[in-house]
Amino acid sequence: MSSIQEQMRARARELLTRGEVKMVIGWEKGTFWYLSPPAFITEPEDCDRLVWDEFCTNNLAKYLLDYKFTEDKIALFVKGCDSRGIIRLLQDNQIDREKVYLIGIKCPGVRDGRQAAALGEERRSEAPLAEKCRYCTHPEPVIFDELLQDEGGAAIREAQATPEGRFAEVARLEAMSPDERYAFWTGEYDRCLRCYACRNICPACNCRECIFDRSQSGWCGKQMQRSENMFFAITRAMHVAGRCIECGECERVCPEGIPIMALNKKIIKDLNELFGEYEAGVDLEARPPLGQYKLDDPEEFH
Amino acid sequence: MLKIAKDKLPELLQAWAGGAKVFVPQDKGGVSVFLPWEGQGNLTLGEGNTLEPPKDLFFPRTETMYRYQVQGKEASLIEVPSLEEKRVLVGVRSCDARSLLLMDDVFLTRGYVDEFYRQRRENTRVVALACTAASPTCFCTAFGIDPGRAEGVDVQMWPVAGGYLLEGVTEAGRELLGQGSSLLAEAGAENIPAAAKPGLAVETSGVTEKLQRMFEHPYWTAVSRKCLGCGACTYLCPTCHCFDIQGENRGNSGYKFRCWDSCMFSEYTRMAGGHNPRPSKKERLRNRFLHKLQYFPERYGKFACVGCGRCLDRCPVNVDITRVIREVKEVTL
Repeated sequence: MSSIQEQMRARARELLTRGEVKMVIGWEKGTFWYLSPPAFITEPEDCDRLVWDEFCTNNLAKYLLDYKFTEDKIALFVKGCDSRGIIRLLQDNQIDREKVYLIGIKCPGVRDGRQAAALGEERRSEAPLAEKCRYCTHPEPVIFDELLQDEGGAAIREAQATPEGRFAEVARLEAMSPDERYAFWTGEYDRCLRCYACRNICPACNCRECIFDRSQSGWCGKQMQRSENMFFAITRAMHVAGRCIECGECERVCPEGIPIMALNKKIIKDLNELFGEYEAGVDLEARPPLGQYKLDDPEEFH
Repeated sequence: MLKIAKDKLPELLQAWAGGAKVFVPQDKGGVSVFLPWEGQGNLTLGEGNTLEPPKDLFFPRTETMYRYQVQGKEASLIEVPSLEEKRVLVGVRSCDARSLLLMDDVFLTRGYVDEFYRQRRENTRVVALACTAASPTCFCTAFGIDPGRAEGVDVQMWPVAGGYLLEGVTEAGRELLGQGSSLLAEAGAENIPAAAKPGLAVETSGVTEKLQRMFEHPYWTAVSRKCLGCGACTYLCPTCHCFDIQGENRGNSGYKFRCWDSCMFSEYTRMAGGHNPRPSKKERLRNRFLHKLQYFPERYGKFACVGCGRCLDRCPVNVDITRVIREVKEVTL
């Protein structure tokens, strides 16, 4: 069987040549060996740019919003987390299923590019799993039109990934006193540059216009200071509550290394405890806990 | 030429801290940033460049410009205190030293002097640190910068085995070294280590002239597709200097402030009526590169990039200015 990368290139070429799609979104090699950024292929002869390696980290789902108002069909390669991003966008009525062709990849987990760079290319195989993959619960795509076949067979998730540890950091923060926790989060968010990389990569952040792009509205000042930074952090966390698909991209793209996922996971854990276990972006038909009302809701409705 | 032992450096910083506020790269939550020296701290002088450039110390992320008070029909302005604090900025790399000279062009020349910037700049002595090892993302030499000797600084430092060599470049710099004379020993200039060789190379000649003819080129659509439209590149850039001015009004009092702004944001060019001449990330990304590589050279005769590599190091999708320069030179018109 040919490698995933060969299958990728072959399928992309077929889809473009037959005119079934106008564009294929995948990954290509970047400036350095430890980077595989997103690639946008529109010509069959460019399909050999596509790569599949341990640095294909970017969640590609969000890019579909850039083509929301075109008639063109787009093919997209999806890992487990990317496919959950697709479910997110479908549930939020952001994209038409018919306009997207999904090519699934069973993902063994991607590696941390920054740590790989520090190790050096000769020790490439020792690069640790990316933080966002360490607690992955869905390495296989949850929605796809076709699934590329991997060489190895069934066992795909790295032994390193332990979904059990998913809430370990949350538990650590919960054990803090309120003052300690305040000091922790203000310390982290004092560094926030308000570059909005976290928002821009997030498939759950799909508002047509974000309140943080409306500084004159008076909700949140443009000052980069503690109160406004915290307002931004809390507002975004609450806005993706019950909708975060745990792809971990917000935390990965943060140039300041703020542990954003700890905030999102705290909310996920609370929702699980309040409304029962729920994983966002897994089942298209399962309604999000905060997107429905049940008569036996634990909170009384007044 | 003088030398200081590595373990004596904190004492030198302490000596300078007697008459000024000293800023030096230190570890903060796992990243290296310029922080005030407070007697102790985890210095990160040996580990490449800081995550954030020193521009925040001259052009803060957010600063109050004036306050006002309204009483009845009278309004009064309250000026902010002048910025007289003396400062010493230690560990500035050659790329960032150049960026200060570029910011001087913006804030101090062409008929307008920005008082906030001027006061901070005049009250700050700069101690540069030469690079003997480069990060993979470094390309300062593409802009004629010498990683082994910085421009426009007061003191130049070089890392050597067991310590640092120091040379007072300006009168103010020699005065600084005089303050630490008991910690410094004479050393020979032959010990100056070889400068780092940056890992990335790019030939910049002709790029401005090419860009002048490329405003409507389809290249911008292709190169901007992967851009997320976030502001990480502009906010980590040592030369990006755009700002917004807004007010915060609370009843009878309030203040005007300015804060960093980014041409990557939709709000940056949105007009009062809602029209936006840069409606998508294509126009915004194009503007960022044109500003660095065309508009700034047209106005000041210099590129507004210093090759520090922060943007390409932290860009979530590997938008790489060296690649853009190469591709711009290759595209057919």
